[in-house]
Amino acid sequence: MNDILKRIVERLRDYRVPGYYKKFDYHWTMVVDLDRCNGCEACVVACQAENNTPVVGEKECGKGRALNWIRIEKYVEGEYPNVKVKFIPIMCQQCDKAPCEIGCPVYATYHNQDGLNVQVYNRCVGTFTCATYCPYDVRRFNWFTYKREKPLDEQLNPDVTVREMGVMEKCTFCIQRIRVAKDRAKDEKRDIKDGEVIPACVQTCPTGALTFGDLNDPGSMVSKMVRDPRKYRMLEELNADPSVIYLKRVMEEGSGEGGDEEKS
Amino acid sequence: MEEGTNTKFTYREVNEDLINFMTKTGPRYYIILAVVAASAVTLFFLPWAYQIYVGQGVTGLNAPVYWGVYLVNFVFWVGIAHAGTLISAMLYITKTPWRRAIARGAETMTLFAIVVVSLFVFAHMGRPWNLYWTLPYPSHRQLWTNFMSPIVFDVFAIGTYLTSSAIFLYFGMIPDLASLKHNATGWRKKLYTILSLGWRGTDKQWLVQARATMFFSSFIMPLVVSVHSVVSWDFALSIVPGYSKTIFAPYFVTGALLSGFAGVVLMLSVIRWSFPVFRKYITETHYDRMGMMIFFLSLVWSYLTAIEVLTGFYADNTFEWESIKYKILTTPSMQLFMLMIFSNTLLPLVLMVRKVRSCASSMSAVCSFVLVGMWLERYLIVPNALSRKFLPWMWRDYCPSWVEVSITAGAILFFVTMFMVSIKIFPLVSLFEVKEDAGIPMEKEGH
Amino acid sequence: MRTSVLGLFKYVDLLLSASGKLKGEGYSVTIISPVPLVHEIEHVEGEKKSFLRYFTLFGGISGFAFGMVLSLGTSALYVMPRGGRPIFSITPFLLISYETTILLGVIMSLLGFFAIAGLPYFKGLPHFKGEVECPEAAIDSFGLLIEDAGDDKLDYVEKTLKECGASEVRRVEAQ
Repeated sequence: MNDILKRIVERLRDYRVPGYYKKFDYHWTMVVDLDRCNGCEACVVACQAENNTPVVGEKECGKGRALNWIRIEKYVEGEYPNVKVKFIPIMCQQCDKAPCEIGCPVYATYHNQDGLNVQVYNRCVGTFTCATYCPYDVRRFNWFTYKREKPLDEQLNPDVTVREMGVMEKCTFCIQRIRVAKDRAKDEKRDIKDGEVIPACVQTCPTGALTFGDLNDPGSMVSKMVRDPRKYRMLEELNADPSVIYLKRVMEEGSGEGGDEEKS
Repeated sequence: MEEGTNTKFTYREVNEDLINFMTKTGPRYYIILAVVAASAVTLFFLPWAYQIYVGQGVTGLNAPVYWGVYLVNFVFWVGIAHAGTLISAMLYITKTPWRRAIARGAETMTLFAIVVVSLFVFAHMGRPWNLYWTLPYPSHRQLWTNFMSPIVFDVFAIGTYLTSSAIFLYFGMIPDLASLKHNATGWRKKLYTILSLGWRGTDKQWLVQARATMFFSSFIMPLVVSVHSVVSWDFALSIVPGYSKTIFAPYFVTGALLSGFAGVVLMLSVIRWSFPVFRKYITETHYDRMGMMIFFLSLVWSYLTAIEVLTGFYADNTFEWESIKYKILTTPSMQLFMLMIFSNTLLPLVLMVRKVRSCASSMSAVCSFVLVGMWLERYLIVPNALSRKFLPWMWRDYCPSWVEVSITAGAILFFVTMFMVSIKIFPLVSLFEVKEDAGIPMEKEGH
Repeated sequence: MRTSVLGLFKYVDLLLSASGKLKGEGYSVTIISPVPLVHEIEHVEGEKKSFLRYFTLFGGISGFAFGMVLSLGTSALYVMPRGGRPIFSITPFLLISYETTILLGVIMSLLGFFAIAGLPYFKGLPHFKGEVECPEAAIDSFGLLIEDAGDDKLDYVEKTLKECGASEVRRVEAQ
């Protein structure tokens, strides 16, 4: 009897822990080195190829409905020939205290034990609450049933679903690749090694600006990179606790910027 | 005994006026009803079917403005619904006499406004055929709803509000239907006999009816405050700069009462203008009192708008300031903001004059402007704040498409259709309360 | 077939004095009116408490419990962490319980109202005790119904009603 009571009390205490997980299985983190990003947008194309995101067309893009999970934000300063352009690749920050997760009424987005903010496509009802609550505006919506002209429909990745009209989607850190690696590691009764999981954008980046890995693993590349003094997280003051860490771009002499939007 | 507002008619006259109004319907009424119903179907249901088939892309929504005119309408109609409940429930508790003639009409308006609200919840979703997933029911996957989400608070609040309003409306009608069944003939008599459930009007029944009305009113009054607060928390619980303000709950509730009262006045004016028999029951005193309420509410609303802008500006938060700058200093928001201030703050100041308050036509004009202003207020909050979120790369304007405009207009017509059908079947004026208002006949005065 | 006496009054104070007199003599008196006379009756006979408040209280408490069990229980049933908040968070669940308190309170009050008022009251239902057809009392007159007076007392009752100022006195057969 005492045992059962103790178990119940322990369970209740667990339910009061913010975020419920005391430790993630793997804390997947992406480190973006802004010194290396040159704005080529190869990551955008790779993501589109890997994750079966549709091509919406020029007219819809003009209306602001481009369906790319990762975007390169360009902030241009100055006049020609003294132009400074800053590039920031922004994908879903997989916040540990995600505002989007609390907004969804049907649990179509929640936090899993890998520290990822997962989106469940078949549960999504399309209330748009998550997209409105997201401070980084990384969520994208399937406004129509997008057609894929031949032969582009043969390009689809069989590991990833094609989303229906009316469903919200966003960057998943290529969870299909994480799944495959986790399955393989489980079969071989070991943990995932560093460098075994590479999302499409990380794989394609020509300058190596993107690095992906497990923050829980002290020997991984990302654990070493986050010790860099240049590190910061976007919109830190909102306390969303994102898992994407940016390394500040070191500007040349005489630039003299400061302030929030200038960090690049 | 409280002073009645009207003593110029007999009890029998009340019954006969109501039954004549409901049964004697000329062809002109049917024609207007048919036109309104057809327009409602063409403007509301057909574009909505098109939208369900093709997708939400037919609206003007984009990233980042994911909430547009549908949610503006949603908040607006919930606001309209609130005044009805305020009049029937809150003014009952305060024992206000002038509430009696208008309570039933206002409650009917509430019920139909909540029906329109449910339709707008449906309309704004990406996959509306799965709407029932937001309700807590035991599915075979053991998946319930996320009770932390403000949308689920909405579901509960508006569901409770719909149920309570329907119950309150029906419950209040039972004595009236029992009374009217003696005047009615044919299918009406059968309908009223069944719906009045055999109400006899004995003293025991009236006692429990009075107690039950007091309980319903005491429950519904905090419900009204909580429903619109919950709707405002859809926005206030986010971290979007223009949304996350703690003032939202009182601000929205005040705005709801203001727009709702304006809606009630407009509705009563239309009824009085079309059917002169109601001028006996809804008199200048009612307009005078409602004008006072609207004046008072517009003052409170103006104060809350001012402090919303002022505290946002004073905080010197970059994001908040961008949001305010976009709302007040950028075309076209600037013009809409000025129109809103004119309609809601400056124009109701004329209600200080008693002559303006008591006259139905001037009150209707003021209230139409107030309704427009209140719709604009919701528009300047919901899609506007989303245009200026945190990251400047994602700043984008929003313009409603023809589907959204058509559905907005169609919703109004649908509401009018429902109202026009219901006033011919169910009594628009609460008979027993109006009779009570006229005075209980005593042989010796001074009771 | 029971015979009852129905007296129609135009003025309520006369009705109340007749009612007081006949109640004092032990007859079962029912006042039928088109408007609530709760205030006037309480003025004469004192404040009455209704049984309805127990229904409402039960509804409120069960509603609160239902809301708490629903939100806390279903969160624990299928644990899905969201937003870095605890599974059992107090504020949203209190809000849900507030709404269900009102919902069940209203529904229970309605059911209590039906139970105490004896509605629905139709022929063929078990609690149906007879209905007196009297349209005037539903529209503009006030009726005083004396049932089960006993056949010998009917004349006396009719006389008393006429003395107290009834505008019309009838003998009715309850169906």
